[in-house]
Amino acid sequence: MKRHRLLLAALLVVCAAGLAAITIPKVSFSDTRLKNGLRVIISPDRAAPVVAVAIAYNVGSRNERRGRTGFAHLFEHLMFKGSENVADGELAGLIENYGGNHNGQTDKDHTIYFEQVPSNQLDMVLFLEADRMRSPAINRENVDNQREAVKEERRLRVDNQPYGRTSETVAELAFENFANEHSIIGSMADLDAASLSDFSEFFKTYYAPNNAVLAIAGDVDEKGTLEKVRQYFESISPGPPAPKLDTSEPTPKEERRATVQDPLARLTLVDVAYQVPGGLNPDIDALSALSTVLGAGRSSRLYDSLVRQQQIAVQVYAGVQQSKGPGLFYLEAMAAPGKDPADVEKAIYAEVEEVVKGPIQDWELEKARNAARRSLVSNLRSSLQRAILLARYAVFFDDPAIINTRYERIASLKVDDLQRVSRQYLVPSNRTVVVTMPAPKAGAK
Amino acid sequence: MKPLALSHKALALFLALALGQGAIRGQTAPAQTAPKFKGKAPVSTEVLKIKLPRAQEAPLSNGVHLMVLEDHRVPSVQFEIIMIGAGGYYDPQDLPGLADTTASLMDEGTATKTSEQIAQALDTMAATVSVTANEGSQIATVTGSALTDQFDPVLALAADILLNPSFPEKELGLYKGRARAALEEQRSDPDFLKEERYAKTIYGSHPASSVGLTRESLEKISRDALVTFHKNNYVPDHTIIGVSGDITLAEARTKFENALKGWTKSGKPRPGVVDPPDSGPLKVSLVNRPGSVQTAYQIGEQAINRVHPDYDAMQVMNTILGGSNGRLFRELRELKGYTYGVYSGVRALRYRGDLRASMDVRTEVTEPALRDLLAELGKMRDQLVPDPEFKDAQRSLTASFALSLENPAELLNLYVVRQLYNYPVDYWDRYTDRIMSITPAQVQAVARKYLDPARLQIVAVGDATKIEKSLRTFGPVELFDDEGRTVK
Repeated sequence: MKRHRLLLAALLVVCAAGLAAITIPKVSFSDTRLKNGLRVIISPDRAAPVVAVAIAYNVGSRNERRGRTGFAHLFEHLMFKGSENVADGELAGLIENYGGNHNGQTDKDHTIYFEQVPSNQLDMVLFLEADRMRSPAINRENVDNQREAVKEERRLRVDNQPYGRTSETVAELAFENFANEHSIIGSMADLDAASLSDFSEFFKTYYAPNNAVLAIAGDVDEKGTLEKVRQYFESISPGPPAPKLDTSEPTPKEERRATVQDPLARLTLVDVAYQVPGGLNPDIDALSALSTVLGAGRSSRLYDSLVRQQQIAVQVYAGVQQSKGPGLFYLEAMAAPGKDPADVEKAIYAEVEEVVKGPIQDWELEKARNAARRSLVSNLRSSLQRAILLARYAVFFDDPAIINTRYERIASLKVDDLQRVSRQYLVPSNRTVVVTMPAPKAGAK
Repeated sequence: MKPLALSHKALALFLALALGQGAIRGQTAPAQTAPKFKGKAPVSTEVLKIKLPRAQEAPLSNGVHLMVLEDHRVPSVQFEIIMIGAGGYYDPQDLPGLADTTASLMDEGTATKTSEQIAQALDTMAATVSVTANEGSQIATVTGSALTDQFDPVLALAADILLNPSFPEKELGLYKGRARAALEEQRSDPDFLKEERYAKTIYGSHPASSVGLTRESLEKISRDALVTFHKNNYVPDHTIIGVSGDITLAEARTKFENALKGWTKSGKPRPGVVDPPDSGPLKVSLVNRPGSVQTAYQIGEQAINRVHPDYDAMQVMNTILGGSNGRLFRELRELKGYTYGVYSGVRALRYRGDLRASMDVRTEVTEPALRDLLAELGKMRDQLVPDPEFKDAQRSLTASFALSLENPAELLNLYVVRQLYNYPVDYWDRYTDRIMSITPAQVQAVARKYLDPARLQIVAVGDATKIEKSLRTFGPVELFDDEGRTVK
């Protein structure tokens, strides 16, 4: 009985609660390197006439130098302004006119471009991506124009929003290394300072095929698709290896703390961020499960204690990002009106203490396991999600198979693992505390 | 603070074809002002012939209409129980937000389970069950999703939440505490201030003008009001259940029959709606937000309901004007760099809805950005859309169907919309033909009808000391503070 058509190598998952076991199909894919160094991952699935393409470049805001913050993201915007054989606006126009979606994203570690189209448009997408990898239109007019769009994006997300400055402040305090501490969006002054030669230099350094991963998922045949990829991409010249990036951080010695006065905010926000390692460190799995115990849903410890029992907060959040370089484990609470943020902070630490002391209940660990299992299953549904994750895991960890193995790693965690990482990372000397308080409004009498 | 990644453009801002919650849809087309394409990229001009899988349908014994879209690729099941008559549209006039509060409290305790027990059970299975009732919408929805092997316990919980909520006084008290804070916090959000003023400007005293709880209504809502609203409005009459994923019609029918045993017909007629009153001649409503570095705009006017004969032409017009790569985006973002994103959308339900465009622009360009936006509306009225721009928009609307085949929940939504609005069985099979038969003259006609410059309502949220003067050049200005009060 072949009900699950994605099923190629079934992974048997036995649910701890003793419910009927189901099989979760694995994502199968091929992994090839072209002569010019471009890594190509192809994951066929013929269920729907859709194909998704994601191309991830191994460059993010961490690669920016002082005085050029926001540059990786600004460069990403420029990649939509045309190339030798593609006019400004033609990429967006073609993809959307033929029924597809597209976008680009920049974070600290990588820059990713992706499209999802009806499967008969694969050639079009490969042509468009290859052309901008080979020859983007880097010129004064395009740079000036996208600089304005990005500055508007900064206003929209940061300068005009309550708590907009908070995450920038946290990162600046938490990290010493410039690569880690500055924001992705960058400063207005640095965006203004970026020159045309900066763009050409950046392109040469980071946008070579040997610094990228192309992932294709969906209604394609593997062999024919690889042929097409060779046809469009293999003649693009490789570049010299990208310079090695030092993201190391000195071990934090004491708590760092700041208060942000925010004229746009109305309630006080308390952020506690602990420095955690990047890369494929198994501790991140345990921290991820720990964030589920502390902050996911109404059954979480922070919600139950701060929001329900003590009623000193109205919202809580806990989370950790899986990234290439060092990251942060976040605990956050928005204080209820009239409540002292110092009490909120103390209550957060009390929950951290409880975790360290134990016990952690079986159901709390099962919750973390099932959350990972759900995300594994939802990744299977969308070709776009599969393409993005395969490309991202290849760029971050040189291991696209994490798409299949992450759940197994989370499922094998023990209560001890969660307590060990709590003891190791959630300590006062490793934390940064930022309290964002409502300030008098600008212009108010 | 969630770890951040920045996107090139706002993701699918208007793409969600919500279930009668205000179907706002935007799509794409290169603008008239766009530079010429080089035309070298290899495109397939053939639109894939898609055979949409049909939902299977059957009545339950209590009259509920069950719709099932099977998809066994992935071991998970999603479902929606859609009750016409339990949405925010049916809030009593003096209790805005009652439907939403009722929905929000249904999973905070049942006859046999506490709030904590429900939360722990769902979170442990990493399953979701939520109840929503949006402002201005006729419907409330119980939404759930689960892995196949956990579907039975999740459905049992959903049924308990739907049929036996106990609305504990204690939970209502806790909810009010959180809601007071949320009411305070939302006033710091420029988007909320914009939506609030826009809803009031366009819809006047109509239920669609509500943006939910107010400080007054929150204090007035009692446990009795919740119990009564639930009893009267969560009835199976006119209810639709949509199920998609790893399940068959026969399985779904048996499981829902059992889970909803005892949920019997009330015999009430299908709840109706009325159209909103006229929103009057052109004016500017300015919400003062001191310290703003941007002006948040929403500009629009009343237009059509979902079953109006102009609906298809409106979709094509909206795609050309304000789709994700439409004229507004090309002109105001890509050419002028005024904004990160500018889109238009159509809100069309059972009653007359609206057509709107929105953008956030830096304070300094408050005036030229609006002038350019109004010029684009003028162009839609005054000129026929030329080819290939017109054909591109038609193709964009129809070719994107292929993508929805990956997502059974999205496909099922199409059939639910068909059922909600009593469209013929082949409504979506004929969609492509209908869109392809729209002419540029029809699009111009809808632009002339629904983009009337004399009826436009302009809502702006920003620093009044910096922008009020320039806004006066567009029409009479009414000033509001960030509490929503008129400033004399």
